[in-house]
Amino acid sequence: MTVYLLRKLLGTIPTIFGVALIVFLLFHVVGGDPTYQMLGKYATAEQVAELRHQLGFDQPLHRQFVGFLREIVTFDFGESYATKQKVSRMILDGIVPSLSLTLPAFFLTTLIAVVIGLLVAYFRGRWIDRVTVLLCVLGMSVPVLAYILFGQYFLAYRLQLFPIAGYDPEWPERLVYLALPILISVMVSVGFSVRFYRTALIEETSQDYVRTARAKGLSEPRIYLKHVLKNSLVPIVTNVVMDLPLLVLGAFLLEKFFGIPGLGGITINAVHDSDFQVIKAMTIFQSFLFILGNVLTDVAYTLVDPRVSFDGR
Amino acid sequence: MHRRFHDLLPLLLVPALMLSAGGCTPRKKTDTANTLNTYQPSRIKGLDPIYADDIYSGTEVKRAYEGLLQYHYLKRPYELAPNLAEAMPEVSADGRSYTFKLKKGVLFQDDPCFKETGGQGRELTADDVVYSFLRLVDPRLVSTGWWVLDGKIEGLNEWRESAKHAPPDYTKPITGLQALDRYTVRITLVRRSAQFLFALAMPFTSIVPREAVQHYGKEFLNHPVGTGPFRMAEFDRNSRLVWVKNPTYRKELYPSEGESGDKEAGLLEDAGKPIPFLDRIVVQVFDETHPQWLSFLSGKLDATGIPKDNFAEAVGGNHDLTPELQKKGIRLHKNPGIDIVRTTFNMKDPLVGRNKLLRQAISLAYDAEPYIELFFNGRAIPAQGPIPPGVAGFDPDFKNPYRQYNLEKAKELLAKAGYPGGKGLPPLEYSATADGVSRQTTEYLQKLLAPLGIKLKVNTYSWPEFQAGVKNARGQLWSYAWNADYPDAENFLQLFYSKNASPGPNDANYSNPEFDRLYEKALQLQDGPERTALYQQMVRIVVEDCPWIFAVHRSIFSLVQPWVKNYKRHGFEHNAMKYYRVDPALKKQ
Repeated sequence: MTVYLLRKLLGTIPTIFGVALIVFLLFHVVGGDPTYQMLGKYATAEQVAELRHQLGFDQPLHRQFVGFLREIVTFDFGESYATKQKVSRMILDGIVPSLSLTLPAFFLTTLIAVVIGLLVAYFRGRWIDRVTVLLCVLGMSVPVLAYILFGQYFLAYRLQLFPIAGYDPEWPERLVYLALPILISVMVSVGFSVRFYRTALIEETSQDYVRTARAKGLSEPRIYLKHVLKNSLVPIVTNVVMDLPLLVLGAFLLEKFFGIPGLGGITINAVHDSDFQVIKAMTIFQSFLFILGNVLTDVAYTLVDPRVSFDGR
Repeated sequence: MHRRFHDLLPLLLVPALMLSAGGCTPRKKTDTANTLNTYQPSRIKGLDPIYADDIYSGTEVKRAYEGLLQYHYLKRPYELAPNLAEAMPEVSADGRSYTFKLKKGVLFQDDPCFKETGGQGRELTADDVVYSFLRLVDPRLVSTGWWVLDGKIEGLNEWRESAKHAPPDYTKPITGLQALDRYTVRITLVRRSAQFLFALAMPFTSIVPREAVQHYGKEFLNHPVGTGPFRMAEFDRNSRLVWVKNPTYRKELYPSEGESGDKEAGLLEDAGKPIPFLDRIVVQVFDETHPQWLSFLSGKLDATGIPKDNFAEAVGGNHDLTPELQKKGIRLHKNPGIDIVRTTFNMKDPLVGRNKLLRQAISLAYDAEPYIELFFNGRAIPAQGPIPPGVAGFDPDFKNPYRQYNLEKAKELLAKAGYPGGKGLPPLEYSATADGVSRQTTEYLQKLLAPLGIKLKVNTYSWPEFQAGVKNARGQLWSYAWNADYPDAENFLQLFYSKNASPGPNDANYSNPEFDRLYEKALQLQDGPERTALYQQMVRIVVEDCPWIFAVHRSIFSLVQPWVKNYKRHGFEHNAMKYYRVDPALKKQ
């Protein structure tokens, strides 16, 4: 496994390099010049030139790109152009609020979706299955914004079941503030997940071993919980583990409407402000997380399916 | 192997259990009845005064920090008043030198940065003033507020120049900026300036202690240590800020005089009482207006602006509060915004810049009334020139001949300009930002110009790209607003001064020697009839040359809960909340 992991890690270098190159070129083609924003509305030509020099914007592109690569290696992206805050601190500050929202929402969604998936697979073709699928499609069709506006107006403002918005770093107040966005996140994504798991589970129920189990007289709950669920773990794990690292990046719309100081909002603000330092850091961070997701998925395969091994046998 | 995975299952259940705890009653926070709940519509960049160039950061900075001067809270027209200075400065005979006597016994807030006193804040001195100004000037710090002192104080630009090539020497004597003794500062200007004193009431020139800057280093922008009425208790710049009353704040009193009507409005009931009245200020950051509006309706916000989408819920015909909100005792405050929304012609452009008749024709075709209804819910007035109401130099009787909507006259002028019915005129390049409101504004402009046969070629950009384009004089037309930095018409007229051309604030790149001459003359004059007459003369020149379409001046509508007392909107004083009071009995109701 160690050799495999090392090989995988080495394989990330060209990927990160490619991502870095694309981000760098995009910024220089369409990203705009942040110097005017940094200097304010009274900037003079002389100040603009001085600041561009300070930031190294007057250097040849290849030299600027080498500087960018150095930042990636050291993961020191300096200060935000827009806020003067340390970029690493901004990211660290944003991770916990983002995860506080996305992690419970993700696990709840997965749990609910697997349970419902099992149920509808069991009742496949019957009215429960059909109604569930219909509800899933309906749930998927409603935009997240509609859930947010409805949730804030009806559940929070009218019924006063939740705070309208806000965030508190202390526990358990934090959960009180996060309950509604988590609920909305589950509502938005559970439909898609149920359909995904339903398909995986139904595919498994058509396998020969299920027929054999039934012939041996095993009860249906035992067949589903002990055999079908276990053998469906590969797609489930793939789905879960691939998404897991990306949860760090937060949920932009939910963060924005509920005032959660997570990474989603930080990233969008950085794009709006042409805050290249933050954009660079977040893009590279996201790439790392994506690669991490891939590696973890491979590892998880071997844990849930003994037929999969790293040596290719 | 699968057993290991099963071992992980309990971990999956943890978040679900955590969520179920969310139904519990939240632990009561330490908010007292004397807490003001307010908001910011944008994330706070940081709390270092020298970077406080947006109103949101400026407001937060001013809770903790103070400058030599401030604005009188109640008087209108806006008037400067002493803050850290004992009185308004003594002015030399030539009008260039200002001598400030500092209040004695003013303490910086207690903070661990004061190591010599074991964390107790020390007394503010004249050296702190000099140090704070030099921070603003220091080229390594790239302050966004350097412009307020640029070219104004004797020897300061030279100090800045020398600091570009060697480590800045904050102890080097500067002729125009001197601490004469522990409590006296003298500022000598390069030339007389009627506007200079306004700079001393801005967040940029707030006084900071050297110890805090050195102690916190790069993190200074997250650790405010000022002399102000509030001190930071919690700071999450993306979500929530909590300020508490500064226990070592000096004795400052609520003003005893204001403008007519203030007494009747109950604004002088607290006259002569020590401020601040509030124990805490809780600031929630709202990126979106929907939760902000609902929070206000549910009483969790004590004051708010009115989001465009909720305007009809709050304000009915004749711009009065709706009966539902009146029943709740909510008050509506209407104030003119000191600003202008305009469309700029790039005078460097060989087509629009050289054809005055074309610009005048376009200006005449611009109908402001529907624009005000569509985009501002009626909360604006048509502009006749650059100077908004409430600023000396504004002439309420003046009617701009090119801003009275007249399509026939516009067609006539367009024909005289050489483009009858728009024939021969290539599509004009209009730069806009890539957001919804900008797109709608652009469509409105296209619709207005269509009857003239004028087409717009719209180029959309991200905000930084748009700014870079404007600052480099790319494109032929663009629109945006200018908010006043201080209550003097000069702040608007400087936008036409040729020496302020791009990338300076004169983004139209307008140049008229006669205008420049009058502008320079007015700079030397104090407020008075002579200067006002010059301002009005300058307005007539730019109106005739038409480098802008003078679109509208916006109005500010604010809603205030009944328990908030002493609320009076101030266009320039960032720390107005030190005068607010909350009536706990009313709030409880």
